[in-house]
Amino acid sequence: MRALDLLDASSADVLGFEWLCNAVAPVSPYGERLFSELVPFQPGSESSAEARARKVAATAAELGEERIDGVRAVLRAMPDAASAIARASMGDVLDDPSFLELRRFCAAIERIDGLVSPSSRGVPIANDGVRVLDEALAIAGNDERSFYLADAFDADLQIARERLAREQAELDASRGRESARAAQQLGRDEIAGSEFIVMRAELPGPLPAGVRVVREAPTYLLCALEYGEATLAALARRDEAATAVAQAEARVRAQLSATVRERAAELGAAAAALAELDVLLAAARFSQRYECAPASVPAEPVLAFEKARFLPLAGELEVAGRRFVPLDIDLHDTAVLTGPNMGGKSVSLQTCGFVALCVAFGLPVPAIGARVGLFDHVAWLGLGREAQIGGLLSSFAREVLELRAILARRAPRLLIFVDEFARTTTPHEGRALLVALLARLRQRGACGMVATHLAGIASVAGTRHFAVRGLRDMPARPQTAEIPAALAALAQAMDYTIEEVHGDEAPRADAVALTALLGIDDDFVEAAYRALAQ
Amino acid sequence: MRVGFELLDLARAAGASSIFVVGTGRDVGKTTALRAIYDAARGAGLSTAIASLNPEHRLWLYPQTAFVTARNALPSFPAAEILDFTRLQSPTGRLLYARTASSGRYELVGPPTASGVREIVAELSRFSEAVIVDGAVDRVAALAGSNGAIVVAAGAASAKTMQEAVDEVAALVTRLSVPRADPHAPAIEIQGALTSAQAVALLAAGERRQIVVRDPTQIALSGNAATGALGRLAVRCLRPLRVIAATVASISPERAFEPRAFARAVADSTGLPTFDVYAGTRAA
Repeated sequence: MRALDLLDASSADVLGFEWLCNAVAPVSPYGERLFSELVPFQPGSESSAEARARKVAATAAELGEERIDGVRAVLRAMPDAASAIARASMGDVLDDPSFLELRRFCAAIERIDGLVSPSSRGVPIANDGVRVLDEALAIAGNDERSFYLADAFDADLQIARERLAREQAELDASRGRESARAAQQLGRDEIAGSEFIVMRAELPGPLPAGVRVVREAPTYLLCALEYGEATLAALARRDEAATAVAQAEARVRAQLSATVRERAAELGAAAAALAELDVLLAAARFSQRYECAPASVPAEPVLAFEKARFLPLAGELEVAGRRFVPLDIDLHDTAVLTGPNMGGKSVSLQTCGFVALCVAFGLPVPAIGARVGLFDHVAWLGLGREAQIGGLLSSFAREVLELRAILARRAPRLLIFVDEFARTTTPHEGRALLVALLARLRQRGACGMVATHLAGIASVAGTRHFAVRGLRDMPARPQTAEIPAALAALAQAMDYTIEEVHGDEAPRADAVALTALLGIDDDFVEAAYRALAQ
Repeated sequence: MRVGFELLDLARAAGASSIFVVGTGRDVGKTTALRAIYDAARGAGLSTAIASLNPEHRLWLYPQTAFVTARNALPSFPAAEILDFTRLQSPTGRLLYARTASSGRYELVGPPTASGVREIVAELSRFSEAVIVDGAVDRVAALAGSNGAIVVAAGAASAKTMQEAVDEVAALVTRLSVPRADPHAPAIEIQGALTSAQAVALLAAGERRQIVVRDPTQIALSGNAATGALGRLAVRCLRPLRVIAATVASISPERAFEPRAFARAVADSTGLPTFDVYAGTRAA
């Protein structure tokens, strides 16, 4: 999948685009080629995006995991016959490995059709071209996993091979007779190999006829057998027979290649159908594995979902024995998101972006329901963008330049996630910058969410305000100082629910509680609380 | 004396279904020894497979011989039955398994890695009763722990004097014949290769425990250093190899050794049945 203008590299990284690509990657070379060309649906093609996701979901529901895995196993083992089809269509004569690839291609299509066609999804991939080629190549033998240019392909080939076998046998016999005669005269059991040693001391007389000295050493002779007249005549007959077989084999290959060339369009169509099926099944398997649902895709810029998950993080949490708390969000303009540290603000933004990416590529979303529009640019600004060490710019300056680039982009339908932008300047100026940013985004009709710890932004900017509920109560400090234990305790105490709030609620002091949870000593924490109360 | 049959019988007596022929150097009669074993296997009516780990090795094969070659090295004539594709690549294309339908000259192409060698030997064993590999000492690790057997070829081409050639093959055989480690005896396990420097340090320390390497190819010692260190240290391995015989080639373009004396000296120094394939004899 290619993000094109939808995402820049850093935003793609934060929003898990590569993870998504891997999760919906096809398994065959046919699917991989199509997949590499996939681009996001653009605003205006909402019905196509929605239809695609519904098709994926319907395929997932209808075929079931086992059948999809079965088809994908066949696809994974398929050789890539595209090159052979292309070469034959240009008039090349194919070689035997290419015929084996084509034979397996035809056989795999038959198996896939057998697995898929019982369902209503099953439009058979095999066409007349596939059937004709399959039949033509079946002459190679019963084992569809192998290929041999068998005698049965051509009567002349069979005749030529029979003659060659006879001539080769005569040649072997003639050479065998000469070798046995020489061995007997030399008083040994056999002469093995093309060169052999004769000890001078054991030589009863002159060397036998047909034995040539290659090199002489003080105690022995290195010898070779020379062909006699009978063998030379047999050799000439064998070579002539071999030439006839070579010509017959070339003729059969040319005939088979012509069949491929004549059927190239149909074979290409079958390869294209395989590619489409592979990509569809990969998406369907993703949908099954992560219990996804197709979103409705309206024409307006909206991002609303129920019980959505940011799958890259959900997977990590699962490995750690924890659970991702699904999120509900309804966003149709710009909004401010506040909440405590480690309360999931960034993850909320990532979840929004991930869901938007799924919809943009016609995939069901990891939520129980969603209503998501199409955007022509999805941007991430602030925390989480790839860190750049060194250089002449401060982190604040870099963020400003990134903002400038986002605002300069011609993106009528912008979806933006801003995570603690301007956090490195004074709160007073940071607040002012965020208010100005929200005003600009609203002016552009952008959809987005701005996460911040700064209070009073939403009311001044006149936007909606969402907040993470935060700690239900103070988490108990775990017995061990290990981080996973602290994180587990925090997860137990944290309410990650996002709800819309009215006005600007007072910021919570959860950060101080978190320092205690993460192992800072009691005196330090108490000092912080005292300072907070002043 | 039919040397090929003798070598084949030794391998079969050892229970080996695959036979690697490795040499002390180039032009030491490796291919001649392999050819003799191949002819014998065919004469014995065994279904046979051939592989070569050397680049561009052309060999005359009989019908019904399985072999490994690269896609682009497969001749258009005579047509062979293509059995399967491998996932292994070579400079001349993807490797594949084929079986000859008629006799002819075929180019053998081998895999570039030890794991690839292990894979092709295992796969060829599915098609054949005898797998014969024109091997290379640095790839012989693929046989470690398997039921494969090794034939070592020595020749006049690889040494200036007969004694040097004998020492060379003796050191190689000693190295490849390192026995399996005793799991109950004290041991020092060497990660990676046992080098000359390590061997010297262990000797200086008067080490009496087993020095255990993964397999004999992890002993990076050669010549007299190998013979000396392996004689005084209790070097052992986890996955042993089986060397069953030696062959000699007393001729080379540059020099010639006295065949009988050379074969006898190799037999004495290695303790292995030793054959002169060119003379069709076994060292007394």
